[in-house]
Amino acid sequence: MLNVNDLEIRHKKYKIKSYVPYFTIFAGVTIALISIASFFLYNSKVEISSELEEQKQPIVIQKTEVIAETEIKEKNETVQEAVQNKIEGTVAEPVAIKDNVKIEQKQEKVVLSPSLNFMNKMGSNGRTNNQELPKEIIIDIKQKDVEPKVEPKVEPKKAEKKAEKIEEISLDIDKKNPINIARKDEQEDLSHVIKRFNINHNPALSLFVAKKYYQLGDYEQAYNYALITNEINNNIEDSWLIFSKSLVKMNKKDMAIETLKKYISHSHSSQAKQLLDEISSGKFK
Amino acid sequence: MKPSIYENSRDVFLDTVNAKDYIQLERVSTIYQSLKDSIEKPLKMVLLYGKPGTGKSMFLSKLHHNLASSQKVCLYKTPILDESEFFKTLAQDLYGIGYEGELNFTQFIKVVENKELIGATVPLILLDEAQLYSTPMMEKIRLLSDTRKVKFVIALHKTEKEDIIAKEHFQTRIWESIRLENASTSELKIYIQKKLMKVNCIDTASMFTQSSINLVHKLTDGNYRDVNKLIYTLFDIYVYYANNNSNKINKSEISTKFIEMAAIHTGLIDA
Repeated sequence: MLNVNDLEIRHKKYKIKSYVPYFTIFAGVTIALISIASFFLYNSKVEISSELEEQKQPIVIQKTEVIAETEIKEKNETVQEAVQNKIEGTVAEPVAIKDNVKIEQKQEKVVLSPSLNFMNKMGSNGRTNNQELPKEIIIDIKQKDVEPKVEPKVEPKKAEKKAEKIEEISLDIDKKNPINIARKDEQEDLSHVIKRFNINHNPALSLFVAKKYYQLGDYEQAYNYALITNEINNNIEDSWLIFSKSLVKMNKKDMAIETLKKYISHSHSSQAKQLLDEISSGKFK
Repeated sequence: MKPSIYENSRDVFLDTVNAKDYIQLERVSTIYQSLKDSIEKPLKMVLLYGKPGTGKSMFLSKLHHNLASSQKVCLYKTPILDESEFFKTLAQDLYGIGYEGELNFTQFIKVVENKELIGATVPLILLDEAQLYSTPMMEKIRLLSDTRKVKFVIALHKTEKEDIIAKEHFQTRIWESIRLENASTSELKIYIQKKLMKVNCIDTASMFTQSSINLVHKLTDGNYRDVNKLIYTLFDIYVYYANNNSNKINKSEISTKFIEMAAIHTGLIDA
């Protein structure tokens, strides 16, 4: 006997069953499409971001050109100021002047001169002018052509192509403009310091000279500058000690002991006491 | 549409072997004609083979029906496996000789050889499901056919075993083999519609569109027996809905759902 109701139920199940492979295929294809689409989207995003980076790079180069132009016009400005201009220029200057700048860049050579502003600042801390600067310290910044330099970090191929068009700025001081700090003769050093002392009568300088003369074995001069220092400021312990040591070296041991005792009586310096003991015992000669 | 039309349509497809239900299809007609021609030839044996449900039994039935009036024809739809019984039955049917007790092959072949042919026609024996006969039995059938006093038409399933039988026992004999095959889509459409038209179910015959025929063919592979079973169940479902929920019936064409339901019921769809 035909059970149609049961047949209908079985038919329903059969239909659901028959749709399963189609559904599976559809789901599989959909997943595959989504994954492919997302893969391509991700790739395109990466490409866009890399393109953006590429676009950013030439802007930097163009701005560098503007900077170079600024530097040409303001030859007397310091490197630091130039760098400041660079930053300001990146914000303010439009990119459109690129071609003009290129031409100018090719025709003119940019010359940088060292700034002496930092020396003036040093002078304000106790020195009156540039002449007082120690000659033994030479900042050797040669005047060179400044070339715009492109950093080949992002997209080297394109950057190279653009770099061909644009002159590079080279601020690489380490290679091309080395700063040589050379120490010359100690006597010369002393003479410079003495000169400066003669101008500003700074007891620190006279004490430095006293110590230096003592090290060099010129005990008379050490004695003199220790005495000068002491006259300016008699509370500087080192001046007393150098003074006493110099006396000992000049075979004036008694005078040295007397001087130290006077100093110890009002300062109670342990260092002075120790020196006194050493001199008295004969350890210090 | 009255429920009775579905009932009539359903009953047409009852799986019975009846010569009256024979449907004249072009290819089937050709095959039938070639079979008839083979029988008229001085051939000892004719082999009719094909898969189950391809119409072998129907062919034999039709042949028996058509030839019975003109010549001596015996149709054995089921094999007689007992040897003595087989020969006794043949003696009775062919020559009207009744035997009590045992009748062995030697005795029967003597009877056959001694019998004079009535006219020029050789009596025809149609053996259906011949694959069920044993090999010695098949050998004895071959020897009987060698007497030229009797002709055999053997219908069997085409299997590996039947192939061996054919090769071993009949290869050297003068015989003809006719192969029956499943119906094609177009043949199936004609088959179904002709069957329905025979009982004047024109409305239901017109409901079979090409798509529904294609589906039936897909499910049955054109096997007549399966087609009969499927369509029978299909119209049974129609009868149910016509009696209980006639709104579900689309009278313009056969419902795919109903075909699938019928296929589930007949086991053609594993659900």
